[in-house]
Amino acid sequence: MGVLAGGAVAAGVTIYLTPKYTRAGYQPVQPVPFSHSIHAGQLGLDCRYCHNGVEKSWFANLPGASTCMNCHALVLKDDPRLAIVRNSAANNVPIAWVQVHKTPDYVYFNHSVHVTRGISCVECHGRIDQMDEVRHDKSFSMSFCLDCHRDPAAHIRPPDKVTKLDWQWSTNSVEAARLQNVNGKKFVHDWKVESLQSCSACHR
Amino acid sequence: MKNDLNNSSAPVTGRRYWRSLDELADTPEFKDWLHREFPSGASEMEDGQSRRSFLKLMSASFALAGVATLGAGCRRPEEKLEPFGKQLENYTFGEAQYFATAMPTRTGAVPLTVKSYEGRPVKIEGNSLYPNGNGGTDRYAQASILDLYDPDRARQFKMRGADGRLYAVEREEALKYLESLAKKFATSSGEGLAFLAESSTSPSRARLQKIIAQKYPKAQWFTHDAIDSGIHQRAATQAFGQSVRPVFNFDKAKVILSLDCDFLGGEDDAHNHIRKFAAGRKADKGMSRLYAVESLFTLTGASADHRLRLAASLVGNVAYEILSQIAGGPESMSPWVGECAKDLIASRGNVLVVAGQRQPVEVHLLAHAINTALDSIGNTVTLLPAIEGANTDLTGLSAAASDTLVILGGNPAYNLNWSPASKSTTVVRLGYYEDESADKASWNFPATHYLESWGDATTSDGSLVPIQPLIQPLFSGLNELEFLARLAGETQTAAHEIVQATFGGSGESWKKFLYNGYTTVSTPAITDVKVIQSLNDLNGLLAAKKNPTVSPTNLEVVFFRDAKVDDGRYANNGWMQELPDPVTKMTWDNAVLISRKTARDLGVANGDLVEITLNGKSVVGPVWTQPGMADYSLGLALGYGRERAGRVGNGVGFNAYKIFNGDYVATGATIKKTGGTYTLACTQHHWSMEGRPAVREFNLATFEEDAKELNEKHETESVAEVKFRGVEPPIVQSLYPNPLDEAKKTALHQWGMSIDLGACVGCGTCVIACQSENNIPIVGKDQVLRGREMHWMRIDRYFTSDPKRKNASSTAKGINPRFDLGSDINKADEDQQFEEWIDDVQAVNQPMLCQMCETAPCENVCPVAATVHDQEGLNVMAYNRCIGTRYCSNNCPYKVRRFNFLDYNKRPLTELKGTLYSTTLTHKTDGEWDLKRWWNDPNSGMRTEDEWDLIKLSKNPDATVRMRGVMEKCTYCTQRIEHAKISQKAKAGASDNVRLTEAAGTVPKTACQQACPAGAIVFGDISDAKSSVSVLKTSGLNYSVLGNLLTRPRTTYLARVRNPNPAMPDYKDHHDPFSTEEYESQSLTKKGQS
Repeated sequence: MGVLAGGAVAAGVTIYLTPKYTRAGYQPVQPVPFSHSIHAGQLGLDCRYCHNGVEKSWFANLPGASTCMNCHALVLKDDPRLAIVRNSAANNVPIAWVQVHKTPDYVYFNHSVHVTRGISCVECHGRIDQMDEVRHDKSFSMSFCLDCHRDPAAHIRPPDKVTKLDWQWSTNSVEAARLQNVNGKKFVHDWKVESLQSCSACHR
Repeated sequence: MKNDLNNSSAPVTGRRYWRSLDELADTPEFKDWLHREFPSGASEMEDGQSRRSFLKLMSASFALAGVATLGAGCRRPEEKLEPFGKQLENYTFGEAQYFATAMPTRTGAVPLTVKSYEGRPVKIEGNSLYPNGNGGTDRYAQASILDLYDPDRARQFKMRGADGRLYAVEREEALKYLESLAKKFATSSGEGLAFLAESSTSPSRARLQKIIAQKYPKAQWFTHDAIDSGIHQRAATQAFGQSVRPVFNFDKAKVILSLDCDFLGGEDDAHNHIRKFAAGRKADKGMSRLYAVESLFTLTGASADHRLRLAASLVGNVAYEILSQIAGGPESMSPWVGECAKDLIASRGNVLVVAGQRQPVEVHLLAHAINTALDSIGNTVTLLPAIEGANTDLTGLSAAASDTLVILGGNPAYNLNWSPASKSTTVVRLGYYEDESADKASWNFPATHYLESWGDATTSDGSLVPIQPLIQPLFSGLNELEFLARLAGETQTAAHEIVQATFGGSGESWKKFLYNGYTTVSTPAITDVKVIQSLNDLNGLLAAKKNPTVSPTNLEVVFFRDAKVDDGRYANNGWMQELPDPVTKMTWDNAVLISRKTARDLGVANGDLVEITLNGKSVVGPVWTQPGMADYSLGLALGYGRERAGRVGNGVGFNAYKIFNGDYVATGATIKKTGGTYTLACTQHHWSMEGRPAVREFNLATFEEDAKELNEKHETESVAEVKFRGVEPPIVQSLYPNPLDEAKKTALHQWGMSIDLGACVGCGTCVIACQSENNIPIVGKDQVLRGREMHWMRIDRYFTSDPKRKNASSTAKGINPRFDLGSDINKADEDQQFEEWIDDVQAVNQPMLCQMCETAPCENVCPVAATVHDQEGLNVMAYNRCIGTRYCSNNCPYKVRRFNFLDYNKRPLTELKGTLYSTTLTHKTDGEWDLKRWWNDPNSGMRTEDEWDLIKLSKNPDATVRMRGVMEKCTYCTQRIEHAKISQKAKAGASDNVRLTEAAGTVPKTACQQACPAGAIVFGDISDAKSSVSVLKTSGLNYSVLGNLLTRPRTTYLARVRNPNPAMPDYKDHHDPFSTEEYESQSLTKKGQS
């Protein structure tokens, strides 16, 4: 009886209270049916066209509706699916997007320092360019962060390739792994990339 | 939790350092306080709730909570992200913006740069571009941001109804009323209209004032400040025969005499004085000497090299005596005054004599006469054109305001005890709070904060500075300029346009003005002046005032501007109320400050309630014995005892204005015990270092001697090995390797700090800056009494005195009539033989914060590794890992760790404990079980959502808001370090230019460092040998506190150097650095034993 209860508690805690299960796979319905796979995938828009704060701020920033209207003033300009966007841009009413990716409040994650130093969006967000509705792809647990912080060389790439989510060192996976190993170590050494594992790196 | 700390190494002979009279007398209460990590009860749940029963209860509620959670689903609540509809240019969410603005003061302004996140101001800094400044501020400027988000501020326009109550009206209706007033007075030329305003240096307000005078010629304008700083200007104008105001250059003076002038504390513009004074006190660059004559023990007295304890009403005698010495009069009866005068004469041209704001105009005239006689004018005293609108006489006020009285700011019902003379007078008030004066007004207009309004001001050095809003008025308040413009019936009513019109330009010059935050208006100093009074005239002035002997039946009362609540305007500011007073270390109260002798003669002790009667009026307050006070002089801080301040300030302290009639120094008071007692929350024993010599001092002479020797040795030995005599106590090398040695090889930086005890005056600006930067909550008086205050940095004030020193007061013969009484003087001295040396104290202020020990004792006792080192030498605290054992605090030799005993953030001070926490399990309220009440409403007593939303706006988003049950402490502002590192790395991109360097200006400043007006705190990278902090750490004055514990602190101190005059009667040749001799011998003995 005691064993059963203990097991149930342990399972409950694991499933419900660890970030691995609470958020990964989260895919809320957004007010506007915006498709990343069309915009970022098929059309090949750079992530930074809309998320323009990603190199300056801790927060990648969401585009204002006026940014959408740069194109949609001409493309699909009377489409009913875009009514909310047109209204937002015309009357300055914000669109209430549902937050998908979230770190706990006591974690101070900073986008700018990662993307400018060669950590691609795909490392945390997965293949956004293949998602219609954005899904929380990775777990964002502390061990997820630490895996990379313990071995940045395995993840680092040239900074101009960070927004190319399908980019590989080579089409040959064995060759790609070899090049990542060689170049990753070189980048970490040349750019003085720190393997930050102390509390102050993320908690303040 | 009692510690047995018997390794105290307080010196037995020589100079002694102590925090309070209790410590000196070693009373049982003091010992008990000392031997506990937190004071008795601080770590226990009070009011009958035992830890065991609480735990039982909590395990039950956890089980229930678990069930509830499973039922309710587990995802975090859905959160929305709402971007702009129209993208703003040059704005990135998440990056701070900085705007130049200024905080207006009575006689000037503090130029500021304010940090704004997402449109809300969060932190105030000094404007570092401003030429006559160093980016430092004063504590009022630091704390003023909290007023902006005060839930108790006036939020609505209100009109008094027929039933005598105030009713909220729409803004438009209130503005229409102003319009109707404007029409009425335009036809009657302002008949029966009077204004009562606080003084201001705003050119725009002066311009509107002139427009009003033209439109309503019969209207009268009165200016009044409860703390009158206009005396400097009025006295200078009288002395020099033309409209001038003096600017004191403490940096240029070699010998400074303060005549009851607390220029480092209570005077207006103190942060500028501190900056200049600190610049003139560098031991290796010609150090100035400060003489202070005062009755209260002030920050200026604490910094003085020689201090004369004298009743404030007798200070004029000293001034007169010195002037007669300069004029070649007979040798002074008082050796103190005689030698001081000699020193002043010898330093002719580099002398500065300042009289205090409390002193009557005669003393100011004498000071100017001395300055003129010693060629100071144009040198250490600069004369600038006067600013209009200094204090005016209020006698005609009620007659002038027969129809309408307009009150701009201020709080006359509180600090003038004013009420409308007749019922036919309509009182229109523009005020920040619905306070005592609002109660008497017919109309109450909510005023805007300076961070929400346009304006301008003139600094004390004559520069024009803009006041730029950082946020729209939170509660639709009205700007003072707009209010006046509407009242004057002007068409141009927007404050922005009014300020621009006064500035006279809207193009590039205006943009530059706003960007820089200042424009220097050329105000040539006035040099062609003569002192109009002759010595004889001055003698006549003083004759009436001479020899008002103070005695137990004829006490002197000194009213002073409080270091925290000012004249009462910051009474509802929790940061200010909880800041320990820089001198008394009192929080949440004022007290009747008296000397020990006075206390003994009157038979009163600390906490006794006494009734003070002055001019037929009386007030009751608690007694506090303050070392360094003049005998038979009572110090009363103004600004307390507010009845309508708000939830924080109501009923705090007693209202000294009740017996105040405009004279800051009054004699003829009597005192009577009421029999009651009162508990005062004084922090002077909290976190005591138990007499271990934490501070070090030198005489300049010793310093120079050592420096010379050091120079000679320099040729043969390396500088680091030659130390000033005993500053750094001998440190035994540890057998164990330093855990940081490995990290040092790879880390980019190693952070460290150096604090100059010689520059620090103890003003407390850093404490408030730290509170603002790091979201530190206030805890209330009850919690302070339990030793639970949360300040990450504190200023330890050590009194120091020397049993062997000659009695300074008795050297005031001829000045202090008490000592002219022949036999009495001897008697007094005889029975005070032990005591007088205690009363003639000096003080050393030591900012104490986390020392960031390399081998931190807190870390190895933490059972969950919540506090560990990072690779750059920071002792970091992971809040979400802390389980609240408090072992770390127990093991910290510096007592710098703070524990969140209650939920100080989300609960107001009166509701800190909630429903369950304060009662026993079986307790019932109104016949209902408390457990049930808690179950029904677990958040009972929490701040309401809208109030919490308002308070959240004031928080710094870069620092965590800590919850109940976690330990916290100084982090060296790790959020600023991380921000700087991240910015540098983002800029570096694919390159190795990631190191922060002082040369490139990329090393961040900590909040305390940035706010310090004296520049006493220097933070930086100690692995960079050229950084300022590294250079300071190689100074011979550098020492670590309790270095012999092998904690290897990263924060080190520079010993304090004083510059006493060997000819003075109270001089003692301390050949060895004070307090270290014993320390040294003891650690040497220990070394021998081990």
